[in-house]
Amino acid sequence: MLNYVIRRLFYTIPILLGVMIVTFSLFFVIGSRESMARSNLGPRAKPEDVKNWIAQRGYDRPLIINLSQNDPYYSAARPWHYSILMDQIGRFARFDFGESDFNREDIGIRIRKGAIPSLLVTLPAAIIGLLLAIGLSLLQVFYRNRAVDTGMTISCVVMMSIVPMAYIIAMQAFMAIHLRWFPVFGFDEMAGWGSLRFLILPIIIMTVLGLGSDVRFYRSIFLEEVAQDYVRTARAKGVSNPRVLLTHVLKNGAISLITVVVASLPLLIMGSILIESFFGIPGLGSLVVDAISKQDFATVRSAVFVGSLLYLAGLVLTDICYAIADPRIRLS
Amino acid sequence: MFLRYLLPCVAVFLVACDNDPNPVPLKKSRPDGSPWLVRYGALPEAPRSLDPQVAYDQMSRRILEPIYDCLLEYHPFKTDPYEVVPCMLEAMPVKTGLTDGKIEYRCKLKRGIYFHDDACFPGGKGREVTAQDVEYAWKRMCDPQVECPVVSTLWDYIAGMKDGYEAAKKTGSFDYKAPFAGLEVVDSHTFKVHLLKPYPQILYWMAMHFTAPVAQEAVAYYDGGMHPDGPDGKTIRRKRFDQHPVGTGPFLYLHELSDPDQKFRLIRNDRYLTTRFPTEGWPADRDLVCAPLAGKQLPIVDEICITLFRESIPIWLLTRQGYLDGMGVSKDAYSSVVSATHELTPELRAKGMSLEKDVDVSTFYTSINMEDPLLGKNKKLRQALSCAFDAEGQNEIFFNGVREIAQQILSPGIPGYRKDYRNPYGFNPEKAKQLIAEAGYPNGIDPATGMPLQITLETSGNDADGRMMTQFEQQCYERLGIKVVTVENTFAKMLEKQDNGNFQLSSGTGWGADYPDPENYLMLFYGKNLPPQGKNNSRYKNPEFDRLFEQMATMENSPERMEIVHRMIDIMNEDCSVIFTNHKAYYSLIQPWAPRTHDNSMLEGGMKYSTLYPEVRTQKRKEWNR
Repeated sequence: MLNYVIRRLFYTIPILLGVMIVTFSLFFVIGSRESMARSNLGPRAKPEDVKNWIAQRGYDRPLIINLSQNDPYYSAARPWHYSILMDQIGRFARFDFGESDFNREDIGIRIRKGAIPSLLVTLPAAIIGLLLAIGLSLLQVFYRNRAVDTGMTISCVVMMSIVPMAYIIAMQAFMAIHLRWFPVFGFDEMAGWGSLRFLILPIIIMTVLGLGSDVRFYRSIFLEEVAQDYVRTARAKGVSNPRVLLTHVLKNGAISLITVVVASLPLLIMGSILIESFFGIPGLGSLVVDAISKQDFATVRSAVFVGSLLYLAGLVLTDICYAIADPRIRLS
Repeated sequence: MFLRYLLPCVAVFLVACDNDPNPVPLKKSRPDGSPWLVRYGALPEAPRSLDPQVAYDQMSRRILEPIYDCLLEYHPFKTDPYEVVPCMLEAMPVKTGLTDGKIEYRCKLKRGIYFHDDACFPGGKGREVTAQDVEYAWKRMCDPQVECPVVSTLWDYIAGMKDGYEAAKKTGSFDYKAPFAGLEVVDSHTFKVHLLKPYPQILYWMAMHFTAPVAQEAVAYYDGGMHPDGPDGKTIRRKRFDQHPVGTGPFLYLHELSDPDQKFRLIRNDRYLTTRFPTEGWPADRDLVCAPLAGKQLPIVDEICITLFRESIPIWLLTRQGYLDGMGVSKDAYSSVVSATHELTPELRAKGMSLEKDVDVSTFYTSINMEDPLLGKNKKLRQALSCAFDAEGQNEIFFNGVREIAQQILSPGIPGYRKDYRNPYGFNPEKAKQLIAEAGYPNGIDPATGMPLQITLETSGNDADGRMMTQFEQQCYERLGIKVVTVENTFAKMLEKQDNGNFQLSSGTGWGADYPDPENYLMLFYGKNLPPQGKNNSRYKNPEFDRLFEQMATMENSPERMEIVHRMIDIMNEDCSVIFTNHKAYYSLIQPWAPRTHDNSMLEGGMKYSTLYPEVRTQKRKEWNR
């Protein structure tokens, strides 16, 4: 098992390198550091300001390698690896994301700080959403091909068809403006338990947002299990339908569920872009939106790296969970 | 068993059942028993920096204004023309012309101005501001590591600025111990500013945060490094100076309670004695609000809480619930706030709210490249294009008719602005058709090819609104019979094309004035101010205009100067190097408990003048959230 995990971790290295190179190319090869500087400094910047911006952020070095004397940033006094690409790879390997292009804030600190508010919304929403989706999909399987099943399927399709923005606006209007149960907007880390009042509405919305597709997906997983021989055998032995579903189908269906659920768990840290923007939650979702809208390329690059790292972590975790959930699976 | 789970759920729900998103005020009442006044505001974008020598964007200035006082400041009511008055200085700087053509301004700081109490000072007590602090701040502008965005503009005028910057670039660090030729400290409270040439606009720069004094201790202390500041001497990261402002203004920044990604909280500076509410100057309709405040020690309110919003809808929703003390009317809220007749909707009027319109010190236009072989040489063609553009229609369709149609480069309130002036080449379709025929392209047809004349319109508006606006502009010109090809650019690409003169028409160019002086607008057309160093994007060169610019730029405001300004506007409008669109304007929704106490759009909120009627707010909030 340990060997397998270590091997899997090593597999992630070339993928991460690939992600870094692609992101680097997007920002520095397709775009240019001069255009980054201009976008950040605005229309009034003079050539001296652009030059200084580039120098202050350490972009005044060759792009890939410090060997070509034709490169205006070539420096004979520096080693061959004195380049932006090598610098970025080295920094990311040390989890040193540098400073934001927008306000020079330490990106590492900002990411760590943003993970907590994001998780405060996404984690409860994911847990509640999972339990609800499993419960509802089992209910559909229990009543399959009957009015309840059809009604719930139609509801799920309707829920999937409505754009997330509509949920946010409608639920804000109903629960925060009409009923006045929750604040329309805000977050207060310093309020302790008092901050709960800011979280409940985003958690409800987030739970509802994923429910339609999750219930449909889980239903199909459980229906597949219900058609298996062992279910027929259990029924033939006289096991009741609820017991078959809750004990046998749920357990065996869990292996397929793990694929989706565990892989997405680390990504919960990245938060929800829309919910965080609408409710003013200073998580990683809003960090990414802000960074894109402010042309903060350093933060966008770091967020892409962290996102891919978490995605890969999710895949490794999924494999491990497979082995734990089903001992027949051999990790060799 | 059931109750064991139900009770915590009910408790959680009860905690949640309150729709007021604002934090609890720091105090309930003042020492004299009067109510503690808190103003709640909204910020639509995050500030870039809270370093006074760096902050150039509107959001940063909005937070900095209550924290840092400047040497001079704008009078809150005198806007036609705008007027600067002493703030940290005892009186307006005294100008002396030297024999070698250089200029000197002698400035004297008021006594008894203190930096905010902060851990960076011995015993945590802010010390008195001296002329050395002004000198230090001005030196910071020259430090490349600080990245002051206006240094390259100011070094043309302030002695020693460019030398200091260049030397620091060479050595890698700025020498703060070396003397600075631009500012001479005479005594603890007196200093002289040395200019290379006459530049009366320096007074406006003294009303900006770039020139505001800064405590060296604060910059050294807030270095962003690891220090044993935590409980029991635990090493923790200290904030940087641009995240922890230590100013001299009417409000202190509460860094423990503020989060730049979320909320900014400020509290009254009890040692603040620098300024008082004006005793005159407000318009008659503000008498009821302003007269009781006349001569009062500022600030009026005790606490400010500014929340950062990434979406505009929640701002409107919270204002409607009474949890924000006013807002700028965004597109999302426009139809709910403003009626078709440009008045407040009856529903909001019934609530006691009011609507105010402000015109920004800005002008927007489409630049015509005067070096383009086709457009640069054909004045009639440029005039035809100018006459073809329907600025009024654009304003109605895209800005709900809120903006002011620009007839000239100067925006309202700038000395030299003529209210009744009409651009001779403003929207006039008949004249446009006549002019294009005179230009040699009857009905827009190029006689050389027999095909419609083709012109390229560059734009950087890549969102849905931007695209529609480009399409509108394209259609305006195409009514002349010509063909207009539009090219979408990224913002950076657009700037690059403007720098290289690689365009015919460049849409959406605009200028927000740094200071309310005609020179700040007219320099956009000065022949020696070509990109990339300058912002003469049209590459307009007219020897007569340039001569008049050089004459007026260094003059004090006078009837003679205004005459020159008017002549320059006539020349440039006749030459049509730009097609004017509008001056930015916006509506603000005012709550009945937080009336406006200033009229100056050069101020960023003017929080120190803000007042509040807490009883009205409590009553209305109850009413609106029943």
